[in-house]
Amino acid sequence: MFFYYCDLAWRSIRKTPMLSMLMVLAISIGIGITITTLNVYKTMSYNPAGERSEVINSVQLWSQGLDTWDEFISSITYTDAMNLRNNDELNLKAATYRTGLALQSDNPKIEPVLQSVRVTDRDFFRIFSVPFLYGSYWDASVDLRPAYQVVISQKLNLRFFEGKNSVGKTVFLDRKPYQIVGVIEDWNPQPKYYDPLNGAFNDAEEIFIPFSLTGQEEFDVWGNTSGWKFEPMLTYSDRLASEKVWIQFWTELNSEDEKQNYHSWLTRYVEQQRAIGRFTDTAKTPAEAVQISDIDKWLEDSNVVPEDNKILVGLSLLFLSVCLVNILGLLLTKFLKRAPEVGVRRAIGASRGQIFSQYMVEVGMIGFIGGVVGLLWAWGSLTALHSYFSMDQSVTGLDASMWIITPLIAISTAVLAGVYPAWVVCRTKPSVYLKTQ
Amino acid sequence: MLSMKNISKVFKTDLVETHALRDFNLEVNEGEFVAVTGPSGSGKTTFLNIAGLLEGFSSGEYSLDGVNVSNLSDNHSAKVRNEKIGFIFQGFNLIPDLNLAENVEVPLRYRGMNASERKRRVESALEQVGLGARMKHLPTQLSGGQQQRVAIARALAGEPRFLLADEPTGNLDSLMARQVMELLENINQQGTTIIMVTHDSELARRAQRNIQIVDGQVCDFSMYQSAATGTR
Repeated sequence: MFFYYCDLAWRSIRKTPMLSMLMVLAISIGIGITITTLNVYKTMSYNPAGERSEVINSVQLWSQGLDTWDEFISSITYTDAMNLRNNDELNLKAATYRTGLALQSDNPKIEPVLQSVRVTDRDFFRIFSVPFLYGSYWDASVDLRPAYQVVISQKLNLRFFEGKNSVGKTVFLDRKPYQIVGVIEDWNPQPKYYDPLNGAFNDAEEIFIPFSLTGQEEFDVWGNTSGWKFEPMLTYSDRLASEKVWIQFWTELNSEDEKQNYHSWLTRYVEQQRAIGRFTDTAKTPAEAVQISDIDKWLEDSNVVPEDNKILVGLSLLFLSVCLVNILGLLLTKFLKRAPEVGVRRAIGASRGQIFSQYMVEVGMIGFIGGVVGLLWAWGSLTALHSYFSMDQSVTGLDASMWIITPLIAISTAVLAGVYPAWVVCRTKPSVYLKTQ
Repeated sequence: MLSMKNISKVFKTDLVETHALRDFNLEVNEGEFVAVTGPSGSGKTTFLNIAGLLEGFSSGEYSLDGVNVSNLSDNHSAKVRNEKIGFIFQGFNLIPDLNLAENVEVPLRYRGMNASERKRRVESALEQVGLGARMKHLPTQLSGGQQQRVAIARALAGEPRFLLADEPTGNLDSLMARQVMELLENINQQGTTIIMVTHDSELARRAQRNIQIVDGQVCDFSMYQSAATGTR
C-alpha cells in the first residue's frame, strides 16, 4: 500500500500546486535556517581527536593569588611548563605556544613572509598524531639542548621546495638558519583543538620549532598572555620568571590509573609551589588546585562553541515550530477539502488507519521535498556566510551528516504538523459526504 | 441475509431529539431486490447508512449475513463494508483524479488483493457495465449514465453479497435510468441481494419487493412485484 499512497500523494501535490508550493516553502525556509545554524553548531562542536579524546589531556593549575581569577586558566606559566616538562614519569608531554617569525629561503624569487609559528616539544607530534610526509620530528635531545631544527607543512614544502623531499635543507626564520627535519602531510584539525584560544577555526601553523629555543631566541607570544598581578617586564627573562600564563601543556594519559598517578604528582607539585611561596590562593586544596582536561572538557571550557550559537540554534528551532504551525493550518485546509473523497474511500472499505496512513505519506512526501529545498537554502546561506561575512570555510562547509539529518528533520516536522489534520480527516463520517458530493 | 430488529436512531442536539428511525424492523432474504420508498425525511437514507454500516444506531439489533454487526469496531465495519457490501450513490461519488480502472480498483486495494487479481476483476467489472474500452478515461470525460455504470462496476468488482443503492437513477435522464435499472436487475439475477432507495415509483415497481418508510418506520410490506416467493 505504501507505493499506492505515494502515488496518491504525488497526484494530490500536483493537483494543488500553489498550496503544495506554499507548504514546501514554509518547511524549506524553516529547515534551511535550522540546518544552517545546526551545521555551524555541529562543525564548531566537532571533536577532531576522535577516539583519542580521553587520552590527550591538558593541564591547568590554580596558580593565581588571592582574590583574583575564580576559575582555572587554560594556560600555565613558563616556570610551571619547564617544571612539568622535567617530570620523567610521563611518557609523552609537550609545552606549546604560538609565535610569529619572518620566513625566507635560499630562493631569491620567494619573498620573505611573516609566518605564524608553533613553538613546541617533539612529543606534540606524537600526542596529536601528526602525519609525516618526509622525515620526522626532531630528536629527544633537542628538547633538552636547543637546536635550530624545524618541521614544515606540505604546503610550505610545495611553495619553497616544489614538493620534493626537503629534509636536511634549510629555511631562515628571523634570518637564522633552521634545518628541516620533517615535512608533515596535510594536517589541519578543525577546530584547532591544541590551541583554540588563538582562533579555534584558524588554520594549523605551517612551521614548528623546538620549545627549548624559547629562552635563547626570546620569541614573541602570538596569543593570549594573562597575569593576575603587576610584574615589571623589562627583559625577556622577567617574562619567563613571571607569573604570567601563556603556555598550554599537553600530555598523553592512557588509562585512569595513569591519570590518577599524574594527578597525585601534580598535587604534590602544587604543595611544593605553595611551600616556596607561589600559588598563594589556598582556598582550594592542593588536589583541587589541579585540573586535567580531556579534549571534550577542554573544548567546552575553551568555549569553542559560543553561547550565542546555542541560542541561535534554539531560535531557529522556534522559527521552525512557527513554520510547523503554518503548515498545520495549510494541511488542515487541504485535507478537509478532500473530506468527500475520504467519505467515499471509507464507504467502500478503507479503515481509519488506512486513510491516516495515506495522508501521513502525503505529508511525509511534502516534508521530503521541503527538506531537499531546505538543504539548498542551507547551502546557499552557508555560502553567503562564507562570502559576505568572511566566516571560515571549515565552519560554513555543509557537513556530510546534514544530507541525512535534513530530510529526517523535514519529514519529522511535516509529520508532526500533519498528525492532527490527518487524524481529523480520517475520522470523517462517510455518510455525511456521500449525499452531498 | 439482512435482519433489523427494533432499530432506533436518534439524532440529539442540545435542544431537540430527532427520531430518524423508530422500532424499525426488516428482514431481507438472500437474492432479493428490495425497493425502499418514502417521502423526504422519512428515514430512507438513515436506514441505508445503517444497513451499510456507515452509521451506528441508538438501539436494536442488526445481523448481516448471519453475523451480529450491532457493535462492530470501526476497523471491522470497514472490513465488512469492503468485503460484503457494494455501494451505489446518487451522485456517483467517483474519485475525479483517478481514471475508471483506478476508481474501480480502490476497494480491491483496501482488501490487499494482488495486482494481477485486481486487474482481472477491474477488467471484468468494466466489461460487465459496457465500459471495458474506456478504462483509462477520467470520470469527467463520461456522461452521467456512464459514470453511474462505473460506480456500479466499482461496487461489483469486490463481488459483494449485498448491494446498496441510494437513488441510483436520481441524476440521470429516463433513458439512462432505464439502462442502469436493467443493469441492476441483471446483477440481481446473478444472485446479489439489492436494496435500492428511490423516489421513482415506476422503478420501485420493478423490484421484487417494495417497502415504504414513513416517519422512521416500515409501514407496508405488501407490494410484491415479482412472483418470487421470498428467496429466488
